[in-house]
Amino acid sequence: MDIALAGLICVILAVISKKLSLPSVPSYILAGLILGSGGLDLLRADEVSNAIAEAGVIMLLFYIGVNLNPREISEKKGMIFHSGLYDFLINFSLIYAISFLVGFSHVQAFLVASALYISSSAIVLQSLIENRKLMYRESEIVIWIMVFEDIAIALLIVLNNPESSGLFLFLVKILVFTAITYMLSNYMPRLLGGLFQREDEIPALFAFTVALLGIAFEEFFHIPAGYTAIMLGLMLSGIKKLREIILPFKDVFLVLFFFFFGISVTLSADGLILGLIFAAVAISGKVISGLITGRHLLKSWQSGLEIGLDTVARGEFSIFLIFAFGIGKEISTVTTAVIITSILGAFMSRNSERIISLASRMAEKVSKTE
Amino acid sequence: MVRFIGLEGVGTKYELETSSGDRIAVIFLLNKRIQIYIQEKSCEKPCSIEMSETEAKRLSSVLGGVPIEKEKESVEIDFMGVPDLTLAMHTYTITKKLHGKTIEELAIRKRTGANIVAVSRGGKTIISPPPHLIFEEGDVIVVIGDKEQIERFEREILGI
Repeated sequence: MDIALAGLICVILAVISKKLSLPSVPSYILAGLILGSGGLDLLRADEVSNAIAEAGVIMLLFYIGVNLNPREISEKKGMIFHSGLYDFLINFSLIYAISFLVGFSHVQAFLVASALYISSSAIVLQSLIENRKLMYRESEIVIWIMVFEDIAIALLIVLNNPESSGLFLFLVKILVFTAITYMLSNYMPRLLGGLFQREDEIPALFAFTVALLGIAFEEFFHIPAGYTAIMLGLMLSGIKKLREIILPFKDVFLVLFFFFFGISVTLSADGLILGLIFAAVAISGKVISGLITGRHLLKSWQSGLEIGLDTVARGEFSIFLIFAFGIGKEISTVTTAVIITSILGAFMSRNSERIISLASRMAEKVSKTE
Repeated sequence: MVRFIGLEGVGTKYELETSSGDRIAVIFLLNKRIQIYIQEKSCEKPCSIEMSETEAKRLSSVLGGVPIEKEKESVEIDFMGVPDLTLAMHTYTITKKLHGKTIEELAIRKRTGANIVAVSRGGKTIISPPPHLIFEEGDVIVVIGDKEQIERFEREILGI
């Protein structure tokens, strides 16, 4: 598999989607689907491309961890909890129930619900910035929801991890690892801060290595690599410079991950139909949870609708979870739902004002006829 | 009253409300760009602009009350600890008239009291230039002094 060719295709797609101000995530996946084994069969995944895809995922999760500073989060924990609670309860249970209804097992339903509950931080936050919504209170709540989901994803990785041999030992390992990294997060910035001020290649090399340590941890200690990456990022989150250093690595590897993921997937017909159903469920779920959150926190259903429309897009996390733990039909279902919701989500966020005023007028009409 | 809040994954937001009820929000995005929102009290929707760091710095010196003229920027600095001191810093572009002359030759400090603290030439900056530095046309110089010294510098040396 030619990495440079994959890169070139992604560059072209990125330029086009930025020009059309569409989210680029679905375009990488779609291109992979079309060119890969499930489509024209021009490109095949190999060992190198798999390694790069894995690195992309680890970089993404490490980056999430780096942005989750325990001190900053604990200052806002009330806001984050109240913003994200309904989003979690409604979307997770709704998708879980529907998955079960359409014939998935409990374990499968749990995975599909984990994957499709989580919105795409990348698309959601980019939409807020591009559509100039950052002044609004609703946007702050949307951002807190994204933080809540970032924390939830760490838990969901652990819960979806198929570790049948010795559940007790597994939990102990996770707890010990979590406690150690959390404690070290107090000292690491002071200890390693100087290292990151250097002008040579050491900061980048070190950041890259720490990010990829997750893969080694999984091999040696059987702690899920994704969880390790988040916690290692969190451990170093006090070092502000690290965010800038790791960002380019994350960007490049993650884009290639989406493309290689697309190449390796073959969409099945029933997965495609299920994906359409789940896209509809996923969109309605976020709109409902948004409405309730807005009603609860800002006392306005218009605000709630704004929150709902802003959070519709699914993306990187859904793909990651299904890539890490899914097989066959689950993958087709989630991939299809992600492609649909990411495009529609970006569109809904951009036109939220028009949609809300339309909904207001309709609500008025209904209340008049009554 | 300024409200300050960190927005994870987006940047940092500062919000303030004027006494008349107009609202302003400034967001420093992670990609170093800056968005400013302003909302009139009676207006439902804010207006917004996005700018680069340099543009934001320009805006901040405008708001700071420093007049900026074309080709010639200036900043005035007051120190909390030294209440009667106001330092002025100006930039000027060297014209043909001063081309080939040195700081020593012009006796800038002796004649005006002002000091040249930096010279920028072709994208490179020389901090605390030596007295024997030869000016070239197009050099941008940074001059520091109090108001009178700066005025004297403009009159005596630049001949403005």
